[in-house]
Amino acid sequence: MQPAAASPVIEFRDVSYRVAGTEVLSGFNLQVQSGETLVLLGRSGSGKTTSLKLVNRLLSPTSGEIRVKGVSNGKRDVIRLRRSIGYVIQDVGLFPHFTVERNISLVPRVEGWPEDRVRARVQELLQTVGLAPETASRYPHQLSGGQRQRVGVARALAADPEILLMDEPFGAIDPLTRDELQREFLLLQQRLHKTVVFVTHDLREALRLGSRIALMEAGRLVTVLPPREFLRSNDPLAAAYVRAFGDGRESAANRGMS
Amino acid sequence: MRVPQSRLCVLVFAAVVSLLPSCSPSHHDRIVVGSKNFTESFLLGEIVAQQIEAHTNLKVERHFYLAGTYICQQAILAGRIDVYPEYTGTALTAILKQNASGDKQDIYRRVKSEYERRFGLTLGPAFGFNDTFAMEIRGEDARRLNITTLSQATAFAPRWRAGFGYEFMERPDGYRGLAATYGLRFADQPRIMDLGLLARALKEHQIDLAAGNTTDGLIPALDLFVLEDDRHYFPPYEAVPVMRQQTIQQHPEVAQVVAELAGKISDQEMQRLNYAVDGQHRDAKEVVHEFLKSKRLLQ
Amino acid sequence: MNVFRFIQQNHGQVLELTLEHLRLVGFSTLFAMLIGIPLGIVIAHRPGFNKPVLASANIIQTIPSLALFGFLLPVPWLGERADRLAILALTLYALLPIIRNTYTGIRGVDPAVVEAGRGMGLTESQLLFKVELPLAVSVILSGVRVAVVISVGLATIAAAIGAGGLGELIFRGLAMVDDSVILAGAIPAAILALVADFGVGRLERRLLPR
Repeated sequence: MQPAAASPVIEFRDVSYRVAGTEVLSGFNLQVQSGETLVLLGRSGSGKTTSLKLVNRLLSPTSGEIRVKGVSNGKRDVIRLRRSIGYVIQDVGLFPHFTVERNISLVPRVEGWPEDRVRARVQELLQTVGLAPETASRYPHQLSGGQRQRVGVARALAADPEILLMDEPFGAIDPLTRDELQREFLLLQQRLHKTVVFVTHDLREALRLGSRIALMEAGRLVTVLPPREFLRSNDPLAAAYVRAFGDGRESAANRGMS
Repeated sequence: MRVPQSRLCVLVFAAVVSLLPSCSPSHHDRIVVGSKNFTESFLLGEIVAQQIEAHTNLKVERHFYLAGTYICQQAILAGRIDVYPEYTGTALTAILKQNASGDKQDIYRRVKSEYERRFGLTLGPAFGFNDTFAMEIRGEDARRLNITTLSQATAFAPRWRAGFGYEFMERPDGYRGLAATYGLRFADQPRIMDLGLLARALKEHQIDLAAGNTTDGLIPALDLFVLEDDRHYFPPYEAVPVMRQQTIQQHPEVAQVVAELAGKISDQEMQRLNYAVDGQHRDAKEVVHEFLKSKRLLQ
Repeated sequence: MNVFRFIQQNHGQVLELTLEHLRLVGFSTLFAMLIGIPLGIVIAHRPGFNKPVLASANIIQTIPSLALFGFLLPVPWLGERADRLAILALTLYALLPIIRNTYTGIRGVDPAVVEAGRGMGLTESQLLFKVELPLAVSVILSGVRVAVVISVGLATIAAAIGAGGLGELIFRGLAMVDDSVILAGAIPAAILALVADFGVGRLERRLLPR
C-alpha cells in the first residue's frame, strides 16, 4: 500500500460529463499521486478516454471539478495547462510536414527556448526513446509505426512535463514492437518518475505498466487496485476481466511478481 | 531562420497576384477612335479618324463596332478609347439620366458642362446634323398635298395607315406622346413592323406614314419626305464628338482638327453617306475619303 | 494566317487588352482569396455554418454571368464603372471554389494531428498557421486555380457590359463578322487560362504535404 501522498497531482472531484443527452462519465472521483502510473482500464464506451481528456481540458466537465497540481482546471489558463502536460495518443498525430526534430521541438520552440538548447534536447530525447541521432532529419512517413510512436513520446517529453497522459499509445503497434515499447516505458518511468495516466483496454498491459489500475465501466469507476490485488479481487467485473485475459498471471510474472 | 521553400513559393505567388491589378494599360502614342455598331456611327468614327490621320502626326487606332452607348461610355471612361461620336439627346437621357427639354443649344450646353464636370470628358462642336425620329411620307404625297409639317399632316391622318417599329410604339416618348402632342388619329391601329421593312412598305403603299430616322439613307433613295416636327416634340439628337480631356491636354491638336468638322455634315449629306454604304455597298473608308475631299478637308 | 497578322499589326491594342484582362482576373481572385479563405477556415471550424455559407456560394454560381452583370448595372456606385462591376461579379463567382476547397482542405487534415497539436498546448492560431494551413495549402491552391480559370473565361463575357479585356475584341469581331478580330481576342484568352492552370498546378504539386 502506498503511503498517503502530500497532495495528489491530479484529482477528479465528483466529475460528470454529459454529451447529447448521454452521461459518458458520472460521479467520477479519483486521485493520482505523484510518480505513479495510474492505468484507466475498461472497454470502449467506459469513459476512460473522456476522463483522460478532462485532465488537459480537451473536454470540459458538465459538473464537478478537476484539479491539477492543486489548481482547478477552470481557474487556470488552458494553454499553460496543456504545455505542462505531455500527451501521447494512439494515432500518434505527428505533423507530417515537419521533420522529426521539428515535431519533437515544437513546444519548446513555441515557448522560446534558444536554438542550441532545443537541438541538444532533441538529441537527448532521441536517445531516451531509443532512436538513432540521424532520425532527427527524417520525416514521419519515412518511419515505421513503432518509430513514430517513439517520436510521439519524445515529443510529449520535450518540455519536461511532470504529467504524461497516454491514450492507448501502443494499441496500433505490432505485438513484438509493443512488447519492446512497454519494456522501455517501464525503464523510462524508473528513471524519470513522471506522473502517468495511461488508458488501455488490455489487462496485460495494465498489469505490466500500472502501479494502480482503475477499472471503469459505463462511465463509473468500479474499483482502484494495485495489480496484485486486482488479480485477487472479488469484484465481479474485475474477476471477469482476469478470466477474459486468462494469461494475466503471466504478465504479472514478467514484472517479477508471482 | 531558414525559410522553407514552400513558404517562399506561396509568398511569390501572392505577390504576383497582388501586383497584377496594378497593370493599368495606357497608350500615349496613339489616338483610339471608337464607334457604336451601326453604319452612321462608324462612318462618323471613320471621318474623325481620317481627319486626325491627315492633319496630325498621330497614329490612329480604330475600335469600331462597340456594342452600344453604355459600352462606349465605359470604354472612354477607362481610357480604352479617346474619342467617339455620340448624340446629345442620347447622352442626356441614357447617360446623364435627365429629361430632355429645351432646344438643341440648351441640350448641347447641358451635356457638355455635365460631361466636363462628372466624367473628365468634353464635347467638340456638333457635326451639323440631327439624327432623330423622322415621320416619313412618300415624296409624291408631300408634293401633291402641299404639306411640309406634322401639324399640317394631322388633317390627313384619319385617311392614312401608319407603320412603326416595336420600340417606337412602346416608348412613352414615342408614338403615344407624338399622338397626344399633335392630336394624331389614324384610320386603324398603327402596324408594328420590322424596322428594315418600313421604308419599302411605305414605298409600296402598304402604309402611308412611317417612323424612321432623319438620316436614313433610303430617304433620298426612295424619294421619301420627312415631315417637319414643328411642335418640337422629338428631342434633338445632334451628333457630336465626345473626347477625353486628358487626351486633349496631351494632344491639343486633336481637339483642333476635330473642331474643323463642325457643321460640315448636313442631314442630307449624312443620308447620302449612309446610303452609299448600306444601299450601294461601297467601302466605308473610300466613301469617307471622297467626302472629306469634297469638303476640302483633305488634299 | 490573318489573325496573326492582325495581332502583329495591332500588338499594342492586344497587349493593352490582355493587361486589362489580367487586371480584372487579378483583383477578383485576390478579393475572393481575402474573403473566401478566412470564410472557409471559419466554417471548417464551426460546422454549424458550413451549409448556409456553401449553399449561398453555390447559388451565386448558378446565376448566369450575363444576368448577374445585368442585375448589377443599375446599382449606383457600381454601375458607373463597368470594371468595378465586373470585378465584383468575378469575385463572387470565384468564391465558391475557394471557400469549398479551403473547407475541404482544412477538414481533410488528419484529426489525430489536430488533436495532438491541441493537446500539446498550441493556441488555436498556432494550430491554424503552423499545422492546418500548411497541410491544407495544396488543396486551397487547387481551389484558387479553378477560380482563376473560371475568371479568365468570365472576364471575356464582362466585355459585353463594357469592362474591357480580351472579350472586347471578341464582341467587336462578332459585330464586324471578322474572324481575325474574334480570334485575336479568343486565342490570348485561351492561352491565359492554360498558363494560369498550368502555373498554379505546378505550385500545387510542389506544396503537397508528404
